[in-house]
Amino acid sequence: MTRQLAMVIDLNKCIGCQTCTLACKSQWTDRKGREFMYWNHVETRPGQGYPKGWEEAGGGWDGDVLKPGRLPRLREDYGIPASFNYEQALFHENAPALKSEQPMQWGPNWDEDQGAGEYPNGYFFYLPRLCNHCTNPACRAACPRQAIYKREEDGIVLVDQERCRGYRYCVAACPYKKIYFNPLAGKAEKCIFCYPRVEKGVPQACAFQCVGRARHVAFRDDREGAIWKLVEEWKVALPLKAGFGTQPNVFYVPPLSPPTFDAEGKPTQVPRIPDAYLEGLFGPAVHEVLARLNAEIARKQAGQTSPLLDMLIAFRHGNMFRLDRLGEKGNAA
Amino acid sequence: MDRRDFLSTTALCGLGLAFGGPLTSLAAYAAPRAAPPRAWEDAYRQEFLDTRGDAQGFAFHCSNCQGNCAWRVFAKDGRVTREEQAAAYPPLNPRIPDANPRGCNKGTVHSKEMYQGDRLLHPMKRVGARGEGKWRRIAWDEALAEIAAGTLDTVTRHGLGALMVYCGTGILSQGRRAGPLRLGSLLGAQRLYPASAVGDMFTGASLAYGLATVGHSLDAWFECDTILLWGINPLVTRIPDAHYITEARYNGANIFAISPDYSPSAKASTQWVAVKPGTDAYLAMSLLHVLLRDGHVDETFVREQTDLPFLVRLDTGDLLRHRDLRQGGKDDLYYAWDETTGKPAPMPGTPGHFKKTLRLGEIRPALSGRFEVQGLDGKMIPVSTVFDLVRAEAAKYPPEETQKVTGVHPELVLRMAADLAKAKKAIINIGFSLHKYVSGTMTTWAAALACALTGHAGERGGIDTENNWSLGGIGPLSSPKPARFASGFLSEWLNGGMQETMRRHYPDAHLRATAGYDSTDVERLTQERLERGNSYFGKPKTLLLFADNMFRRNKSESHHREALLKDLDLFVAVNHRMDSTALWADIVLPATSHYEAWDIRGELGYHRFCNVTVPPANLKRVGEVRSEWEICLGLAKSISAEAARQGIEAIPDPDFLTQQGDKAAPVMRDMKRLPDDYTMEGKLLNDADVVNWLMANVPQIKPWTSEDAKKNGFVVLNQEAGFTSPLYANRPYNSFERNVYLRQPYKTASGRQQFFIDHPVFKKIGWRVPTAIGPLRPPSFPFAFYTPHTRWGIHSQWRANAQLLRLQRGEPYIWLNPATAKDRGVAEDDRVRVFNDIGAFRARAKLMAAVPPGCVVTDHAWEPFMFEGRAGKNSLVAGMMSLVELVDGWGHLSFDPNWDGNMIAHESSVDFEKVVS
Repeated sequence: MTRQLAMVIDLNKCIGCQTCTLACKSQWTDRKGREFMYWNHVETRPGQGYPKGWEEAGGGWDGDVLKPGRLPRLREDYGIPASFNYEQALFHENAPALKSEQPMQWGPNWDEDQGAGEYPNGYFFYLPRLCNHCTNPACRAACPRQAIYKREEDGIVLVDQERCRGYRYCVAACPYKKIYFNPLAGKAEKCIFCYPRVEKGVPQACAFQCVGRARHVAFRDDREGAIWKLVEEWKVALPLKAGFGTQPNVFYVPPLSPPTFDAEGKPTQVPRIPDAYLEGLFGPAVHEVLARLNAEIARKQAGQTSPLLDMLIAFRHGNMFRLDRLGEKGNAA
Repeated sequence: MDRRDFLSTTALCGLGLAFGGPLTSLAAYAAPRAAPPRAWEDAYRQEFLDTRGDAQGFAFHCSNCQGNCAWRVFAKDGRVTREEQAAAYPPLNPRIPDANPRGCNKGTVHSKEMYQGDRLLHPMKRVGARGEGKWRRIAWDEALAEIAAGTLDTVTRHGLGALMVYCGTGILSQGRRAGPLRLGSLLGAQRLYPASAVGDMFTGASLAYGLATVGHSLDAWFECDTILLWGINPLVTRIPDAHYITEARYNGANIFAISPDYSPSAKASTQWVAVKPGTDAYLAMSLLHVLLRDGHVDETFVREQTDLPFLVRLDTGDLLRHRDLRQGGKDDLYYAWDETTGKPAPMPGTPGHFKKTLRLGEIRPALSGRFEVQGLDGKMIPVSTVFDLVRAEAAKYPPEETQKVTGVHPELVLRMAADLAKAKKAIINIGFSLHKYVSGTMTTWAAALACALTGHAGERGGIDTENNWSLGGIGPLSSPKPARFASGFLSEWLNGGMQETMRRHYPDAHLRATAGYDSTDVERLTQERLERGNSYFGKPKTLLLFADNMFRRNKSESHHREALLKDLDLFVAVNHRMDSTALWADIVLPATSHYEAWDIRGELGYHRFCNVTVPPANLKRVGEVRSEWEICLGLAKSISAEAARQGIEAIPDPDFLTQQGDKAAPVMRDMKRLPDDYTMEGKLLNDADVVNWLMANVPQIKPWTSEDAKKNGFVVLNQEAGFTSPLYANRPYNSFERNVYLRQPYKTASGRQQFFIDHPVFKKIGWRVPTAIGPLRPPSFPFAFYTPHTRWGIHSQWRANAQLLRLQRGEPYIWLNPATAKDRGVAEDDRVRVFNDIGAFRARAKLMAAVPPGCVVTDHAWEPFMFEGRAGKNSLVAGMMSLVELVDGWGHLSFDPNWDGNMIAHESSVDFEKVVS
């Protein structure tokens, strides 16, 4: 029986700083043909995200059948990693401005803080995304080489780099577009949930280095772990786009937002992120989750206790990660 | 692999095939292989081990973000492979979230910057005109000898004050900063006050408390019921501490984010207060209006802790003083009306009173009323109270009226007032943006008054500008001899000829109508400051500049630069990278960056941890870089040698006197002994020696030793670190506990929290009590222009980092409200020209619903060299100063680290147009 390591990302604690993005980059993707990849990134919602328009790029499941998908374009959808003319711009006469040798057309954070709506009722929030290490991965099903597998001991989904031939069916099949084609290696690569760290008891770079303290990691069957409590017991963490049918193992606590203003500039009672928009991402359960979070905050304001909020507050950074395979005690890394 | 390789590789694979286009999956393979071989997994394991390297050190990123976070730095074969937050700070107590894993996006990519193409690798000398970009690589010895000759030439021909040795805010740590400070101090050079030069003085707090930087360790946010984030965007600018905001929200706090744009911090708030740019002082006054109208006044607190009950003469408009009542009376003894005796009572705790305590004893000071006291000549003097004057001023600003100016609905003002009044603990955080408007002083002073009225101080919270720790014992290291400590904003103003752009941009009539003063007033007060002679030492002839991006930072960019360079004989820039200032230098010297030298930093009060940089063993420094300490030692030796060659042993400096026997004698600038003085007789030869010296000599670090620091990358400061309160080991730090609980007087002219200033300038322009002014932007151009701090740099540091630019758009952009952009025919990502009568720059447009209409906004500190023609965003910021910040020599308003002024940044108006190319 496969055990599953999983993550909850609290969108009320994500500050959009991209420390996770860069921690992941320096841990894995700043080399070897992976330069354009962001195994983990944070995108502003609403927005086209990264790769551009991933939500409409197909993939995932229609019942038992894989849906067709589109391969993102390098320049237009991922963006070619900009490189700069430092030498020419800074150390020579008649210097041009420092700029990318080719203007960027898109990037992992292109629509940062843009969101939607109209001033003063505009809105946005941050959505960190990485491989969901799905229970029913479309990528695995799509691979004609059977190069993709889920590890028995932790459910981490990996692309066997020796077996992969770079056919890219997995790229098209992943509805989250979180598998990338490495043109240098000629193989598909993606987030490996930092298994080399995890095996040594060190949490994932994106999670451990998250300055907002937004990410909890534990095995799904660990009754003391945050995943069990937040997903199963308190039901405040939801998968992204569950309709894709892959059964993600990354879950999100949906975002609260300050109220809108009416025409006179008076604050209303209505949160500025439309519920319908959140429902599109997290499903109909999102309404109940937001109501529960608000009710728990009201308890705190009334001087009562809330074990749920105490867990989200996360008094000890180290306690946010329970990597111990026995699930008995927290990791001491 | 660089981009070219990347592209050619992809071309080989066939770009069209590899990326883009539909690709329909084959039928799902129902049964995955039972037991896939997994030996290949070792490949990623090996990569992980490679990033962990063969050596490990500790570092923080010493810069002006003030974050001060402990990182582990990994290196392999002498090269840094990766950095990761140490995340090892101990918790304070079980009810406060711990401080881990402090760090941010910039820290994560510093090792990339170490090896990036803008790194300075060798000493270089210009061989063309300044700024032309023609350089010749020279040896260290040649560079040091040339600088020594130029330095001696300057001090012998123009005097010691014509030498400026200035370490800017690129280095604020105690270790690396010590070198330039010590060298400048031994030589008698002038240096600027950096907080003022960059516009980071909180003069509104100085008025109220006699202290500019007050507040809390930021874990105190978690304890609050109410938080006002005023002109501060911690989710972007205080990334390591921002979790205390989101966690406070989960803990039930009401968080008001007061900001013109819907910032990331507004997103995290419970209520965004969408104030129009530059109108904050009106909002603050409306808040006071409601607090006073609705009786939200903690009378016990204000009677004892503030000057609100002090008596004011209604005939002269001044405070009633002892000298008004007695011949030869004191100037600094003030009175309240004692309700018990029905007489004026001298207030204990005011400087002239023999009782040095705020305790009132039997006195019950009246807060309100009109009284008469008998004056010197027997005539009765009509008096009232500061409280009544404050209330009368606030009465002019009902929220229903101020809404027309601020755009803030009265309902919100009422809520803020009510929440402040009922909160057990409330903090009003004042961001660095407010004082970049002239009105910032008033906004902050009024906010301080709001905290006083509602009794928020000590454990109950209060104003937070920025808490700093008191680190003692450093003087013998950084200031062995008296130095020429210059006002930051005033020096830059005069050196840059900024009055010209002020006059060009602001019509006097407009200034008088919006600010109450005009450019002539500014020039007159500037002249008075010059005559005092204590805070400006003239334009430098030789400038040895360390880690300061002066030509990026200053307003009216090229105008300032040309004015300063014009009279400069020698300009040396010391930095780890080529910045927009070093481009104009005569000689550039390459310095170590954050991982290559030992360093220590502990003055920053957002948290209580003093971090230490310990380079990984056998780390290879890049190129020929040297630490600032080593560079200054080299300069000391070469200056000494050059002096010996010229037969100069010492230069007397009669501006500073020392006691010799029973006579005063000028301080001697000893050239012969300069290297020995610099190294404390050979004790401090390198940056590691300096760190060890600081560990041993700063009492706030006890009982920890260098060994502890090397083991963990940090030590915890002890109880002595607090300025106005003890730093208790197990709870967040709050300011003013010694004043509130022990009744020690405040560091103000009145000895109390002060909300009445009867200085003639304050009287003349009607600022005796908190009031509303601004915005000053002239109507000659239609758009407001403001430039908040960025997520992507610490000012200009990291701004040119390739990794970070890839997470933006690779080049500078401005933020425009979509409707505003549409009016001008500008669409997303169009190229635009932004201009006014001071200058122009070009950038891309980014449309943001978060930005108010009628504004041009850009997150600040793009390097000018990232723009066409090297004209950055400060090109169109006109010179402007606040008149009251020029006041000097009056009570607590006397030039020192707690009283200096600001370069005004956000009061210019601009226009923009689409660039058709």
